[in-house]
Amino acid sequence: MSAATLRRLIVISLIALWEILPRAGFIPELFLPSLSSTLAAGWNEAGEYGHALAVTLYEVAISMAFACGGGILLGAIVGSLPRPRILIMPMVSSLYAVPLVILYPVFTIWLGIGSESKIAFASIYGFLPTMLATAAGIQTIDPQLLLAARSMGATLSQRLVRVIIPAAIPTVLSGLRVGGALVIVGVVVSEMLISSAGIGYLISRYRTILDSPHVFAGVLLVLAMAIAFNAAIKWIERKAAIWQTGTRAGQSAEEIAPAALQPAT
Amino acid sequence: MQSGPGVKAARVAILVALFAIWEILSRTGIVNPRLLPSASDTLMTLSDLLQRASVRKDLAVTATEVVTAFALAVPVGALIGFLIAENRYFADVAKPLLFFAFSIPKSIFLPMFILVFGVGFAQKVGFGFFSTIFIVIMSTTTAVESVKVEHLTVARSYGATPMQTAFRVYLPSMLPVLLEALRISMIFNLTGIILAEMYASRDGIGHQIATWGENFQMKQLLAGVVMIAAIAIAFNELVRWVETRCSHWRT
Amino acid sequence: MQPLANITLLKPAGAIEVRNVGQVFKTTTQDVVALEDVSLDVKPGRFVVLVGPSGCGKSTLLMMMAGLRQQTSGTITISGAPIPEPDPNRVGVVFQEASLFPWLTAEENVEFPLALRGITKSDRRARAQDALKLVGLDGFGKRHPHELSGGMKQRVSIARGLVQDPPVLLMDEPFAALDEQTRMTMGDELLRIWAATGKTVVFVTHSLTEAVYLADEVIVMSPRPGRIVDHLQVSLPRPRTYEMLSGDTFGSLRDRIWRHIRKSA
Repeated sequence: MSAATLRRLIVISLIALWEILPRAGFIPELFLPSLSSTLAAGWNEAGEYGHALAVTLYEVAISMAFACGGGILLGAIVGSLPRPRILIMPMVSSLYAVPLVILYPVFTIWLGIGSESKIAFASIYGFLPTMLATAAGIQTIDPQLLLAARSMGATLSQRLVRVIIPAAIPTVLSGLRVGGALVIVGVVVSEMLISSAGIGYLISRYRTILDSPHVFAGVLLVLAMAIAFNAAIKWIERKAAIWQTGTRAGQSAEEIAPAALQPAT
Repeated sequence: MQSGPGVKAARVAILVALFAIWEILSRTGIVNPRLLPSASDTLMTLSDLLQRASVRKDLAVTATEVVTAFALAVPVGALIGFLIAENRYFADVAKPLLFFAFSIPKSIFLPMFILVFGVGFAQKVGFGFFSTIFIVIMSTTTAVESVKVEHLTVARSYGATPMQTAFRVYLPSMLPVLLEALRISMIFNLTGIILAEMYASRDGIGHQIATWGENFQMKQLLAGVVMIAAIAIAFNELVRWVETRCSHWRT
Repeated sequence: MQPLANITLLKPAGAIEVRNVGQVFKTTTQDVVALEDVSLDVKPGRFVVLVGPSGCGKSTLLMMMAGLRQQTSGTITISGAPIPEPDPNRVGVVFQEASLFPWLTAEENVEFPLALRGITKSDRRARAQDALKLVGLDGFGKRHPHELSGGMKQRVSIARGLVQDPPVLLMDEPFAALDEQTRMTMGDELLRIWAATGKTVVFVTHSLTEAVYLADEVIVMSPRPGRIVDHLQVSLPRPRTYEMLSGDTFGSLRDRIWRHIRKSA
């Protein structure tokens, strides 16, 4: 059997087991409601989930602009200037070890429990890895390319527009992927902790009344969001695949990403 | 990365400057001191907190959870990772699944752990384990793959036994990657446990921080943030220091 | 395959005998014949070079002489006995550049084969010192591979191959990764070491110049399937000198090999 076939079988049987095990009573519905009852719960409250999704997406979109925009910009600057890089990067990666979730209570005191505190938290949560990934990726641009451009008399701005930016695209995308995934996590986690709206809030509220199917409907929705985001980035990456040869040793974005592993819990 | 004494001094200076700005903002009232207590106040509160029996107990609880989850996740994850990496077919089947499991957010499953384990030690450890194991598996497979075929051939050509190959080739080849994995896994683990404590808990330092936040006890809250950040950074730097000590292995 | 006990007495240490050896790689779709009916005699103390284009099976043949791979048909004996698995007392192997352990110092690398045998530390150290002195690396024992140049690394590899004093030294493109000058120097060094130790050397290379310069005998192989197409005696006197490179004898030998290779490539 080919590996791909077996993998598909595993996925299908996992989904089947999700339906069968709770139904047959091997797993209490409280722990894991069956797939069908989860979907039914979500469908019945479609309006509520839809509204929550809108709130969450709004927060995700704004946080992503801050986290990815800021992270890519600063990462590109720090990554391409040797001195700041040597000075700052080790500090940034130390900071990366801190469980940032402890900052969320601080933001709720400063900004209240509305969208602002979520956006602030998720932006910071996604910012650091995006910056690290971008800075690391900028360094992988083949110096031969820059040398060649200089030998042809390219000015600094020409080199930036015609060499650095195109060569950095895979890096920027991998930064976007890492940062974006984290922003989703950041928004949902902060909604789960203290909030009054959004999918995370719904998950927590249904959890306190032990309504498992509704909890899982929320979980499924977040999963769908994360998967859709990943798929979108992958699609863009494929479109931009042409550029990936611009990095040293043909390093692809896929390989750069794990270098800045996401503290996504 | 090589860094001379000048760079280190500059880093300390940046750190001192940040604390100074924090102090000035609060002291001069540019920022409301009730929203941002000064750095000195926060540090005083921190030393105060560390004297308190209740805070020490919370720290001990968290430390126990962190260590337990880590002690379970690392060997189990390493074993699974090793088995996957050693078998091509397994690797082909499992890798995309693992990569998927790795890339989805883990925290949304936190409610499931509460539904299954209730609120307590097992739930924290369970969630910490769950947050950590995928990264351990992934890093172990990377570590095994980092063993060079040439080195294995050399060992074989000089008649090494499987045990000798394991200890003299696999282990030293994998060590730098494993150390890095250890460091990253601990970040995941700590984040998982603290989040679980903040979400629903009766004790632990994460719970304490959440409570200070709810009660608007800004000084204690900031002191707690500084404390956890310091502990996390200290562990991280310790492992990185060990990593650089054997950095010549990488080449 | 063990009625060879009495033959062993007749075959002096260091003789290599290859009889009708074939190697077939089975893949899922088809069988690939890597070597077909290869026979070869190497007398003790000779310097034999295997040349041929990529895919002619020269490295495969070498790996089989080292006991690292088993032939599909035919027999190979080293010092009169078959070599079903690596035997460092009979055969030392020198690989391409990447084969030193980066976490061990030069002398620890040389000691590695001895450490596997459980030889005491002081004994090991003394023998490693001797081997390092032989290859001209006296005083470099405490350095790690990354602190050594490419040529020095290969000297360490040769020392590692010699440390157990096997009668046969097999070398798989050992200088392929070195620059031209270093390569020439290392060739002279190898000839000096060979003259000092009297080992049987089988040396695989791509370089025709290197082949003729080093060898007593050159074995030319052709691919698909791998076969021996020519066996040349190099009559140039020893010690070999740089001036010989431009001589007629050298040129005609080199030409003869080149015609074979051009035909098969």
